[in-house]
Amino acid sequence: MSKDTLILPETRTWRDIPQQVRPRAMSREGRRRLTMGAIRATVGVVVLGSVAWGAWETAEMLRESPSGMPDAARSDRVRSLVLVTDGVLDKGWLVRTLALPGDATLMGLDLIKLRSRVLGDAQVASAAVIRNFPDTLTVRISERSPVARLMAQAGGDSPRMLLVSRDGVAFEGTGFDRAMVDSLPWVDGVRLVRSGASIAPIEGMTAVADLLASAKLEAENLYRTWQVISLARLASDGEIEVHTRQGMKVVFGANKDYLRQIARLDLLIDASSDPTRPLIEVNLALGAQVPVSYGTAAPMLGGPAAGPPAAAPARPTFTLPVFSNLQTEAHRGL
Amino acid sequence: MGSKTTYIGAVEIGTAKVVALVGEYTGREIVIIGCGECSSRGVIKGSVVDYRAATECTHNALEIAERDASERISQVFLAQTGGHLEGFYNEATLNVKAADNMIEKDDIRTVCDLAKAKDLPLGRMVVHNIRRPFRVDGRLVPTSPENLVGQKLEVGYWTVHGQEQRLADNIHVIRGFNLEVSELVLSSLASGHMVTSMEERQNGVLAIDIGAGTTDFVLYRNGVPHTTGVVAVGGGHFTNDISIGLRLTEGQAEKLKLRFGRAVVQARDKNDKVWLDGNYSIGDRQFSRQAIENITAARAWELLEVVKRKLGNAFAPEACAGGVVLTGGAAKLPALAVCAAKVFGAPARLGEAPSWVNEDLRDPGYHTALGILYYGVSAQGDRAAVARSRGGFLHNVTRLFAST
Repeated sequence: MSKDTLILPETRTWRDIPQQVRPRAMSREGRRRLTMGAIRATVGVVVLGSVAWGAWETAEMLRESPSGMPDAARSDRVRSLVLVTDGVLDKGWLVRTLALPGDATLMGLDLIKLRSRVLGDAQVASAAVIRNFPDTLTVRISERSPVARLMAQAGGDSPRMLLVSRDGVAFEGTGFDRAMVDSLPWVDGVRLVRSGASIAPIEGMTAVADLLASAKLEAENLYRTWQVISLARLASDGEIEVHTRQGMKVVFGANKDYLRQIARLDLLIDASSDPTRPLIEVNLALGAQVPVSYGTAAPMLGGPAAGPPAAAPARPTFTLPVFSNLQTEAHRGL
Repeated sequence: MGSKTTYIGAVEIGTAKVVALVGEYTGREIVIIGCGECSSRGVIKGSVVDYRAATECTHNALEIAERDASERISQVFLAQTGGHLEGFYNEATLNVKAADNMIEKDDIRTVCDLAKAKDLPLGRMVVHNIRRPFRVDGRLVPTSPENLVGQKLEVGYWTVHGQEQRLADNIHVIRGFNLEVSELVLSSLASGHMVTSMEERQNGVLAIDIGAGTTDFVLYRNGVPHTTGVVAVGGGHFTNDISIGLRLTEGQAEKLKLRFGRAVVQARDKNDKVWLDGNYSIGDRQFSRQAIENITAARAWELLEVVKRKLGNAFAPEACAGGVVLTGGAAKLPALAVCAAKVFGAPARLGEAPSWVNEDLRDPGYHTALGILYYGVSAQGDRAAVARSRGGFLHNVTRLFAST
């Protein structure tokens, strides 16, 4: 027998007796208890409301004008600055950036203004400025990491080098290791646009950063030879051009399988080890078909063949190797 | 109940007096921290007949108890007695639905609901549903039969019900103090719980609580209440009989009863006289001790006979190894235990509160109020456990959608 099929009679119990009693039917003590209960509830609501209102008002006052705080709260001077970062910026940079007056008190500081000063350096991605009572100001920042560099020239100024992060933000780059900066490829084919006091983020850097990261991780020997990354055809053709130190131009298809493209490039370079026919252009943006251009080697200076005039400039030969089995080899190799 | 401390008031609105106790309940134990007592007015045979008078004395007792405890009561457990209370037994049988005959929670719930489902006459309300042990294929199962294997599951309930207006009157007296009645406890269950041990209840014991206006009784078997009942006769009737028989006022009769009354006649000499006041002043009268004893003994015998008749076949001396335990204010009548032993043919004794109860509260007149606290707290604990096992909020939501 299932309970669902049962229709049981509704039995009334003493709990069904309503327990509401009109104050008129109450004794004097009962009415007093009722009144006291109501007063207690009202006082409780009023106290809670007052506390909430007070907290809100205080928060508003602090947000709008920190100077409106009582003197007692402003009396402690800032004696220590603490920088918590995930990058390379140091305390010296923080002191320079905040430029706090010598007699600044902790409660007298305008944290919003200080935060905007910290964020004024494009190397800082996010920042929080915290008062640690009694006398410490803590700044927590998250820094941008450079993936490439570029040369920029504004007006009649001398050109200066800027670093570019993954999100396309160009920044001065303070505190980075010189050798690391020198190993970064240059970015070319971009037009820098001013946005207020800084430079607007460069479009398409995410795709470039992915390519560079894949190359650095999977084929560092190739990555080290990359000198210039051109974004000139990125927006129009979806292609990223890489110019190596050896004069070779490699065209990558943007936002495609970079791992496969790099594997093909590595295989091609290994297969073209003939010094008399160096690779001068490889186009990896066309999928399975990879157009490759070969050049002819320049005559050795001072060598036995130095007599005759230099040969005419190398005329690229154009071949279309089929990569049907190259893909497999590339995968095996990787 | 959670671990938060609550202050529970136990109130017994009796015919002779109103007792209020305050218990501090921490979720694990209950400690009595306050007591208030007041002579009762407006209550006859356990029922409120004068709301204003009953309210006044009950609130007085509550105020004294709160003052004694220095705490405010947050909820009340109320004793319930009166001649309007009646009980009946109803049982249900269920074929176990699982293919492997293993009893599930659903089976238990269904058979319990079936056993409790009985239409009551108009104006009657359930006060208690007291479950007797389960039976699986005729085999007694003292605890839960869940996961036992059997084909037939049986259970029975002793249902106590009362008149709606009388119950509401008692509750409204407490509500007049702006307190909520969270538990209504049958007086017999409360006092029986206090004066009998777990072993006695297991072996069978009859607890009789003789108050001023009513006599409540409960018969325990297999550790649980088997039958309960109320007889609308109490110690007040002893006084009344003496008053009529010896032509005395109620106060004078009560005085004689307390000083010379006995449940078994001992005096053999008719000329053995006793003085009403004993101060030999003008108006002080002499009465035959034997006459007083005759009246009280006859009334005591008759009262116990009525209880025995009401129990009927449910009571058998051989199934009641714990004998008869007497409690309540009127149980202090000398030789009442001897009388009860003769009537029931079983050993009888005067009930005593457990040793941990404070000396001031050991009088039989407080057993009901004490029992209300302990029985009420354990009943609430059981109900909370059932609510938890039914799935709480999620279960209720499921039921809500199932019923729409």
